[in-house]
Amino acid sequence: MVDNEHLIDLRHICKEYDGVTVLDDINLYIRKREFVTLLGPSGCGKTTTLRIIGGFETPTSGELYFEGKEISSVPPYKRRVNTVFQKYALFPHLNVHDNIAFGLKLKKMPKAEIDKRVDAMLDLVNLRGYGKRKVDALSGGQQQRVAIARSLVNEPEVLLLDEPLGALDLKLRKEMQLELKSMQQRLGITFLYVTHDQEEALTMSDTIVVMRDGHILQIGDPKHIYDEPANAFVADFIGESNILRGTMVHDELVSFAGHEFPCVDFGFGSSVPVDVVIRPEDIMLVGEDVGQITGIIQSVLFKGVHYEMMIDCGDFTFKVHSTTMQPQGSRVGLSIVPFNIHIMKPMELPAEEAKADAV
Amino acid sequence: MRYDMQLPWWAWLLMGTALVLFILMVVISVRRNHGVKRSLFASPYTLWMLLFTIVPVILIGYYAFTGTDGTFTLDNFRNFWDSNFDMKKLVGEEYASTIPRGTVNVDTLTYSLWMAFLCTALSLLLGYPAALFMADRNMKLGSSLVVLFIIPMWMNFLLRTIAWMSLLEDNGLINSLLRSIGLEGVQLMYNSGAVLLGMVYNFLPFMVFPIYTSLSKQDINLSEAAADLGCSPMQALMKVTIPLSLPGVISGITMVFMPSVTTFFIPRVLGGGNTMMFGDLIESKFLTEGNWNVGSALSLIMMVLILISLSILRKADPNGEGGGIV
Repeated sequence: MVDNEHLIDLRHICKEYDGVTVLDDINLYIRKREFVTLLGPSGCGKTTTLRIIGGFETPTSGELYFEGKEISSVPPYKRRVNTVFQKYALFPHLNVHDNIAFGLKLKKMPKAEIDKRVDAMLDLVNLRGYGKRKVDALSGGQQQRVAIARSLVNEPEVLLLDEPLGALDLKLRKEMQLELKSMQQRLGITFLYVTHDQEEALTMSDTIVVMRDGHILQIGDPKHIYDEPANAFVADFIGESNILRGTMVHDELVSFAGHEFPCVDFGFGSSVPVDVVIRPEDIMLVGEDVGQITGIIQSVLFKGVHYEMMIDCGDFTFKVHSTTMQPQGSRVGLSIVPFNIHIMKPMELPAEEAKADAV
Repeated sequence: MRYDMQLPWWAWLLMGTALVLFILMVVISVRRNHGVKRSLFASPYTLWMLLFTIVPVILIGYYAFTGTDGTFTLDNFRNFWDSNFDMKKLVGEEYASTIPRGTVNVDTLTYSLWMAFLCTALSLLLGYPAALFMADRNMKLGSSLVVLFIIPMWMNFLLRTIAWMSLLEDNGLINSLLRSIGLEGVQLMYNSGAVLLGMVYNFLPFMVFPIYTSLSKQDINLSEAAADLGCSPMQALMKVTIPLSLPGVISGITMVFMPSVTTFFIPRVLGGGNTMMFGDLIESKFLTEGNWNVGSALSLIMMVLILISLSILRKADPNGEGGGIV
């Protein structure tokens, strides 16, 4: 599905606003027909990256290549990319049809052809017959579809989407995620998607780019990012995690929470401090006598599919997801298979976050 | 001169009533469902409007359709059409045909409308780019420009107009400057140009601010979306920014055209005796000639004209989005 050819290349992109660095040396390529998601907390620079590709911002330094040509100073209207804005930015003085036809009219396309394409787009986004409606008479989800249709009708090489589902309710958001993904696959258009919702990123993307404070922390496919997070921040941001400070005793043996655990990682050296990440669903609750460590159940929360239990093991309180419930206050054994223990180099944390971790 | 700071008893009564009413309205709007019919509290306002707005209009109507003896007549309107009408009545039927129709009233109205149109068009032409500049978030100077537009409005309207005299006079600042560099002086005052200048100067802010408001309310993403879909900056302006600011434009046009067409004093100060506008004409009918009947007829004609132009403008902005007084 995804071509190997690079469509967009960002090389050493930096962006400063009034001396504040927003993007610091961003290197990224996007391939044809790829669904790439920029994922990170607010203020991480993901929207700025998108706006640089869209042409609404110029990088302070670095190069932006589109099909091999440097375009960082090309104005937006000359770029073959289209943007779906966070707040839709539909033109309130035009009806649905004219909003979608906006780009085609600029290209001086004959009217019959425009009507044909707009109708096809309305079909695609399930808004057949809505052409004459005023845009502010539509619901949020419908406005979102119009915004997507307005961009897609121009047949862009790349569609940039800036948190397009942020304003929708959960159910609608899930529906739109699937719709967007299938649309992208059917049309074979490259999508660059910005979100802070890790679940959204995991559901839709071919490639996820995790960003933080203007840096890229990790690039990889969803499974890779989830299973092999590059550092504790990525692990914490993608899904829930138990993050502990530990010590690598030697290859394939790590010590944390007052106990030594066999693991599969090697090459860190001996007696080196490391970060240990364990997913809550990877901890097995076993009998008190057979567990690697034991703990007391502090709290039990029903989460629908599973129970979330906080288990106090003395040195550390583990978060555990399990489909079977253990009563609060009971003593249980915890067991973790070596494969599920993720060891990573300790990350340099800003002072305040290091403090928060210690609590 | 001794300034009497004491107000008469009825003025205090009026202010006291206003204060009590204000407090009542606040209390009522805070605590709802109090059992008292809320429309009751609007009655003082209705009374006020009746006394000071409706009654004068009725009086104008009464004067306009009656003669000096108080009987119904359309002579005042005939007088508008033919300013020699009174004279013709005086000399009798026989000689009336030898006197030509006096066109001064109609001409003054036409001139007023023309000047008001020019003033509005010029204000729009000057004001729109200014508003655009002020509303541009990337422009650091924008907000200081807003202040520059507001500061002259702190000064009295008459004073501002008179200030132009000292600039435009034969021995004024501009002419002195011209002479000091060895050029001929220019006749700047006492013509339509000076009047137009004074009008545009005075009314320009009323054009700029409604447009500025509607432009700065506009979502910045809209012009970005236009650029994204292939609009050059000029096309984005024509296809998105300007159409979306039309309510502000209409509001601005109204706020400039109305005072322009009824303007007086400016023509007298800057136009000297050479120009007269409809406002001056009405004023002179009431105050100089003491002819309230013809004056009222002229006022009524003016009011009808304004109402017509307002209803036309209202069609262009049916939702009143410009926040104007249409």
